[in-house]
Amino acid sequence: MSVQALHAPEVDAPPDARRIDVRGLCKTFQLAGTAIEAVRDVSFNVRRGEFVALLGPSGSGKSTVLNMIATLLKPTSGQILIDGVPVIHGRATPNVGYVFQRDTLFPWRTVADNIGYGLELAGVPVAERKDRVNACLKQAGLEGFGNAYPSALSGGMRQRAALMRTLVVEPQVLLMDEPFGALDTHTKIDMHDVLLRIWEREQQTVLFVTHDLGEALTLADRIILFSARPGRIKESFEVDFARPRNAVKIRETPRYAELFQLIWHSLGEEFIKGRKP
Amino acid sequence: MRRARHAGRTFAWQMLICICFLAIWQWGYALHDRLPWLVPDLLDPYFISRPSDIFEHFLILSCLKSKLGVFNGWFNGEFARCMARSENNLWIATAVTLKNTFFGFVTGVSSGFAAGLVLGRSDKLSAIFQPFITAVNSIPRIALAPIIVLAFGIGDTSKVVTSWIVVVFLVFFNTFEGARSIDEGFINAARLLGASEWQITRTVVIPSTMAWVFASLTPAISFALIGVIVGEFIGAERGIGRLIIESEARAEASGMMVAVVVLMLVGVALSALIWRLQAYLLRWQQHNLAE
Ligand SMILES: Nc1ncnc2c1ncn2[C@@H]1O[C@H](COP(=O)(O)OP(=O)(O)OP(=O)(O)O)[C@@H](O)[C@H]1O
Ligand SMILES: [Mg+2]
Repeated sequence: MSVQALHAPEVDAPPDARRIDVRGLCKTFQLAGTAIEAVRDVSFNVRRGEFVALLGPSGSGKSTVLNMIATLLKPTSGQILIDGVPVIHGRATPNVGYVFQRDTLFPWRTVADNIGYGLELAGVPVAERKDRVNACLKQAGLEGFGNAYPSALSGGMRQRAALMRTLVVEPQVLLMDEPFGALDTHTKIDMHDVLLRIWEREQQTVLFVTHDLGEALTLADRIILFSARPGRIKESFEVDFARPRNAVKIRETPRYAELFQLIWHSLGEEFIKGRKP
Repeated sequence: MRRARHAGRTFAWQMLICICFLAIWQWGYALHDRLPWLVPDLLDPYFISRPSDIFEHFLILSCLKSKLGVFNGWFNGEFARCMARSENNLWIATAVTLKNTFFGFVTGVSSGFAAGLVLGRSDKLSAIFQPFITAVNSIPRIALAPIIVLAFGIGDTSKVVTSWIVVVFLVFFNTFEGARSIDEGFINAARLLGASEWQITRTVVIPSTMAWVFASLTPAISFALIGVIVGEFIGAERGIGRLIIESEARAEASGMMVAVVVLMLVGVALSALIWRLQAYLLRWQQHNLAE
C-alpha cells in the first residue's frame, strides 16, 4: 500500500455505527472584551470501538473540542451527539469517561479511595467496590499502594491511578486529554502498553488528544490532524498497524518511520503557523 | 537517636525557663528593698500574687481547703458543704465557662462554616452580601458584648451569643476563602464521574475547604473563650470571668491569678483537642512529611 493511499477522506461511518458524532462545532471565547476563535467548524465522527487521536500543535483547540464533547464547555454553535443523543452542557453523559490533561486525583483520598470514587457515587456495595478496586490496582501495577495518598506516588503512578479512576466504572466512551503529556518518554511508552492492553480487551471508543505524533501513531486507528488556531481539521490519516500492538516494537518498524515522516511534515507546518501571533 | 537527644535537650531548656520564671515570681520581690533598681514595683505580690499564694487560693476556691487554711476532709462532708455553700466555686465556675464556650464555639463554627460554603460556592449570593459582610466585619465584635448582655440577660444565653458572634465571622471568612479557591479540576472530575451537586459538595467541596477551616479553629476556640469571659465580666452570676471580677472587688490578686491559670489550662486543653482532630482529618496532608 502506498503512503498516499492512507489519506483517508472524511468518510462518514453509517449513522448507527457512529458513537461520537460532531457536526459544525465552533467555539469563540470572550477574553477581556476580545473574541478568540478557538475552534472553527469542526465535524468528524468516531465509530464504535474505534481509537481516534486528535493531533495538533499547542493552542489549536484540541482540549476545547474534547471539553465540549465532555460537556465541560458549551459550544458557540454546532452539535455533538453521543450514540445519537445530543449532549447537554454541564450534565455528565452516562458511559463517557474523561481523563484529564492535569492531575486531578483527590489528594485527600487514598489511591484506593480515588479509584473507587465513581463506584462510591453509584452506590456500589463496599465488598464489590473493594474487589473491583483491587483488580484495577493490580492492572495498573499499583499493588501495595492502595492505602497511600497520591502525594506519595510518582507522576507515572498517579497517571495510572487517574486512568483507573475513570476506567473502574467501565465507560464505553473514553475521552483523554494528553493523559501522558507530563511523563518522560519511557514512562509514557509503558503507559501506552497499559492502555493498549486495556483497550484491546474492552474495545472502548476512544478519542485521544495529543500533540505527540509518536503517541498518536502507537495508539490510534485514525489520526485527525488539527490546524493552528483557529482549530480546524486539516487532514485525517488511517493508521494500519496490526493489533495487538507493542508500543516499543512498533516504533522500530519501517512503516512507523514512513508514516511518521509523512504526518510530521504536515504537523510541522501547523507548528510554525501556530508560533506566529 | 539524634532527634531523641535533641528533643530531650529542648525539654530541659523548657523546664529551666519554667523554673526560673516561677522562682523569680515567688522570691524575686524579696530583693526589692536591697536592689530597688533591679526589681520593678510590678513584681509586688499585691498586684501579681505569687505561686505559693495562688496554689493556696486554688485549694480554697476549689473547696479543698477551708478559708482558715484547714484541709477539708473528703469524708466528713466538709467538701460537699463547701461546694453547696459557694455558688461560684472553682469547679462550678469552670464548668459553666466551659459549657458556654463549647456552645459558642459549636454554634459559631457550624453557622460560619455553612454560611461560608453557601456564599463561597455562589457568585450571586456573595456579590449581594459582600458589602454587608464587610460592614459587620469592621465592627469590633467584642464591643457588642454589653448590648448582648442587656438583650439576653445575665444568664448563660448572653455568654453563648457573645462567644458565637466572635467565632462565626472568623470561621466564615476562612471557609469562604477555602470554598472560593477550590480547584475546578476536582469539581469537573467529580461531575464527569457522575456526582450530583450534593455529592460534589460532600466529597469535593467540604474536604478541600477543610484545611482552611482548621486554620481558623485554633484561634476560634480562643475567641470563644474570650467571648464568654468578656460576657461574664459585664454581667454574670457564675463563671470564671465572674470569679475574676469578685476577686478584683476584694483586691485579691491570687484569686484572679487562679482564674487566669485555669483559663490557660482550659485553653491549652481545647487547642490540643483541635490539633488531634486536625491531625486525623487532615492526615493526607501530613502523609508526605511522615516517613
Ligand atoms: N477559558 C478560555 N478563555 C479564553 N481563551 C481560551 C480558554 N480556553 C482556551 N482558550 C484559547 O483557545 C485556544 C485553544 O486552547 P486549547 O486549550 O483547546 O488548546 P490545545 O490544543 O488543547 O493546546 P495544548 O496542546 O497546549 O493543550 C487557545 O489559544 C487558548 O488561548
Ligand atoms: Mg490542551
